[in-house]
Amino acid sequence: MRLDHRSRRLLPRLFLALLLALLALSAWQWRAGPPLQASMLALLPQGASDELVQQAERRMQEPLNRELLVLVGHAEREQAIVLVQRIARQWAEAERFEQLQWSLQADLDALRQQVRSSRLSLLPHADRQLLITQPDGFIQQRAAQLFDTFASVSLLPIDQDWLGLGARAQQALNPHPRIQTDLGSGALLVEDQGLTWALLRARIRGDSFDLQAAPAVASQVASTRALVSAEGGQLLAASGLLYAAAGQARASQEVAWIGGIATLGILLLLLLSYRRARVLVSLLPIGVALLAGCAACVLVFGQINALTLVLGASLIGVAADYPQHYLSKSWSRLHGQAHWHSWSALAATLPGLSLSLGTNLIGYLALAFTPFPALTQIAVFSAAGLIAAYLCAVCLLPAWLGGLQLRPAPGLLRFSENLLSLRARLLASIGNRKLLGLLLLFCAAGLLQLQTQNDVRQWLGAEPQLLDEAQRIAELTGQQPTSQFFLVRASDEQQLLQRQAALSERLERAVADGQLLGYRALSQLVAPADSQHALRQALQGLPQHWQPLLAAGIPEAALHAELALLLNSAQPRLEQALAGPLGEAWRPLWLGRGDAGVAGLVSLQGLNDTSVLHSVGAGLDGVQLVDRLGELNSLFSATQLSAAQLKLMSIAAILLLLCLPFGLGGALRIVCLPLLAALTALACLGWLGQPLTLFSLFGLLLITAIGVDYAILMRENIGGPAVSLLGTLLAALTSWLSFGLLLLSQTPVIANFGLAISLGLLFCCLLAPWAGTQRSAQNQTVEA
Amino acid sequence: MRRFLRGIAVGIALLGASLAQAFDLEQLGAQLAKPAVVRGPFIQEKHLRALPQPLTSRGQFVLSRAHGLLWQLHSPLQQDYRIGDRGIARRTPQGWQPQPGQDVAAQQSRLFLAVLRGDHAGLADDFELQLSGDAEAWQLSLTPRSRLLQQIFSAIHIQGGALVERIELTETQGDSTLLRLPQSQVDDRLSEAERLALAP
Repeated sequence: MRLDHRSRRLLPRLFLALLLALLALSAWQWRAGPPLQASMLALLPQGASDELVQQAERRMQEPLNRELLVLVGHAEREQAIVLVQRIARQWAEAERFEQLQWSLQADLDALRQQVRSSRLSLLPHADRQLLITQPDGFIQQRAAQLFDTFASVSLLPIDQDWLGLGARAQQALNPHPRIQTDLGSGALLVEDQGLTWALLRARIRGDSFDLQAAPAVASQVASTRALVSAEGGQLLAASGLLYAAAGQARASQEVAWIGGIATLGILLLLLLSYRRARVLVSLLPIGVALLAGCAACVLVFGQINALTLVLGASLIGVAADYPQHYLSKSWSRLHGQAHWHSWSALAATLPGLSLSLGTNLIGYLALAFTPFPALTQIAVFSAAGLIAAYLCAVCLLPAWLGGLQLRPAPGLLRFSENLLSLRARLLASIGNRKLLGLLLLFCAAGLLQLQTQNDVRQWLGAEPQLLDEAQRIAELTGQQPTSQFFLVRASDEQQLLQRQAALSERLERAVADGQLLGYRALSQLVAPADSQHALRQALQGLPQHWQPLLAAGIPEAALHAELALLLNSAQPRLEQALAGPLGEAWRPLWLGRGDAGVAGLVSLQGLNDTSVLHSVGAGLDGVQLVDRLGELNSLFSATQLSAAQLKLMSIAAILLLLCLPFGLGGALRIVCLPLLAALTALACLGWLGQPLTLFSLFGLLLITAIGVDYAILMRENIGGPAVSLLGTLLAALTSWLSFGLLLLSQTPVIANFGLAISLGLLFCCLLAPWAGTQRSAQNQTVEA
Repeated sequence: MRRFLRGIAVGIALLGASLAQAFDLEQLGAQLAKPAVVRGPFIQEKHLRALPQPLTSRGQFVLSRAHGLLWQLHSPLQQDYRIGDRGIARRTPQGWQPQPGQDVAAQQSRLFLAVLRGDHAGLADDFELQLSGDAEAWQLSLTPRSRLLQQIFSAIHIQGGALVERIELTETQGDSTLLRLPQSQVDDRLSEAERLALAP
């Protein structure tokens, strides 16, 4: 291919115009701060397609993303209260929180009102059973309560609650029995092992997508922690925001140092190889690629996720490869060929370069069709980045490298020649077939040891301190929300309450068996009407049993009046009960009315055994267990399979593309080598005892795309096999510098990805010489 | 004792220097904390707006400076309670059963214990204290400070001489509880049975 003078002038200008447009687009996208998304979990697929399930998941997820639970502990009870008050005041000034609650400032009148009007339907199951089956015992307990000096303060005065139903209902409404209210300050306290912990609950303003929120909250927690320790206290904090902040900080740190080291390494490599400073302009495609990748992601998805950015930073390695295609040809001068000239070197390597782009694009884009937003985003990022890098390498760089006389290090070429002769000797002594047989044996044995593992917790990375604190808070407060919950659907409100009550009965058994700590159902707030029937009957029979109350001096008329009031009171509506002050904790559970009827949730606390949930919900109409974690983990596995299938399809496409220049035989050889390399890397994972995750699979799929690149370089054989191998080695080294460093990431998924890609690159390099034709290999042996 | 001292300090600050020469909270506290053991009968009357007669119960109590309070209800029904720093427990055929929850009831009984012991602990933090009279006949009035407490009690009045004689608790909703301790006796030790019950 030839490039005439006109196109040599035109191409750089065209590209610069494009680059300006890209810069303008990026500037516009970043006008209101970085369009970054912190939550890695946002990259997880929306599992169920059912809108109601998604709504329920969002509802249950919301407190995780917006709420912060803080415990301030001190040996002195008063000091803990003083500290929590001070913190609440300080935080209120920061105006970051729309709600800060450290004390119970309940409006008791409103509470009294609601307890009085709904005490029958608030009555806990056990109390209801007691009243129905042992009315005598029920009355005796009430009589004892009346004379108990130390009985709890009842919300309702005795003369409004002779039978004590309100007092019982009120006891059951205390959702967290470990948390006590300090009567003086109203502070919410937990006492444990000589320490008093004061509780502070905060909810941030705005939505959780605000990128500034998580780090700001984390730093606020950190400075508050310092303040509390200075006062001799302790602070515990738990929030999804803190995980997000930690993930964000880690991601940006890793982008900075992995990207930095990779760039520095590539820079050194270029300088040492070509010994000309100007060659460093070949780093430009990296910057252009990252810019284009970001812009494309923001354009398509509205924002770019931190995880995409970390994995995308590894694209540096591939973007730096393109200039290598023609730069490495400068070594052929050492074989007595003509001087290296940028445009003519480009012209000679352009077909191979374009094929590389084509195969890389096919490889990446295949991933875009998985139902996994993470992979889709990375695919879009990479595809856009690769195209930009290619255009930069093809249109602009030759102009900027024009007239440059490269002085490639001759030692490197000798090294490459030595490698080739070593290979030739090895082949001569063992033979191709035997070698292949040995390799396949190694692979088979490795694959047998391979384990797949897909756990969403790998995404979160290790934050032992955050986990410990959350664990401690759960122990102290008895609040251990689980990610699993039940979605209950029904045609109307009464049916919903009935269904939740039926589910509650089974959950009650799980609680009694110690498999579950607790649960919250709408039927606790409003008992279904049919269950009230037996209760009302029992109430009607109560006058036969209430002698002990009469003996205590309570006038019979008062008891009859209360009974009549109870029996005639209307059953409160669910929405009415939710709107009252008692309903607060239940409000998130009500999903409201839709076309198909009504829906509500049952949330769970302190789950010890997930498997028990499946049997609990089984066979109940309208009851569905929503287990996002379990669902995601199985979705990971399913995605793994579909990603592999897509990859096979993309390989078929690459094969077709390569058939054009190389014919079927050559194309097959070029495609099979990277596949073999990926297989060997997979086997190595098995040998190393490392699991195959969705991300290591993704890495290996990427390897097949990059490996094709190297095979093409070898196959094209411009400048001889030694020069081609050297080009391949340099390209692989630049790739490894960026991908392989991910191995050191603290996020398990990313490290796993780095490991898979490092192994894959190694084998791609080792196998690449087999892509060359037999004839040129013989030539090489002669020359050496 | 820590909270006690703090209570005294706050009490003094509240009453101001002008009252320093008169009978003050410090002297009251010291006076009530002196006996190792106090025991005697109690009569509790719950005055309910809706009832012409109060709900009356009677029994015996033993207050130990070291171990807390043993509260034995004799009529109209039998029930023993034990109140210590660890909360309330009830005697059942199976032994002492801690009352569930560290809720309002537990704090109320702690408050109660503080009143009987002259321990101003939670008192000064949670209430305005007003003391009048002298060592032989004094009156202490407690008015709740917090909105939460105000919604439950409007005032607590305590009267006594060498020992606490009368506690009246007025609930915001109009009911009140009167507790009389008419014939309390000072002793220097617990009986064996009392010791077993209070400090097993």
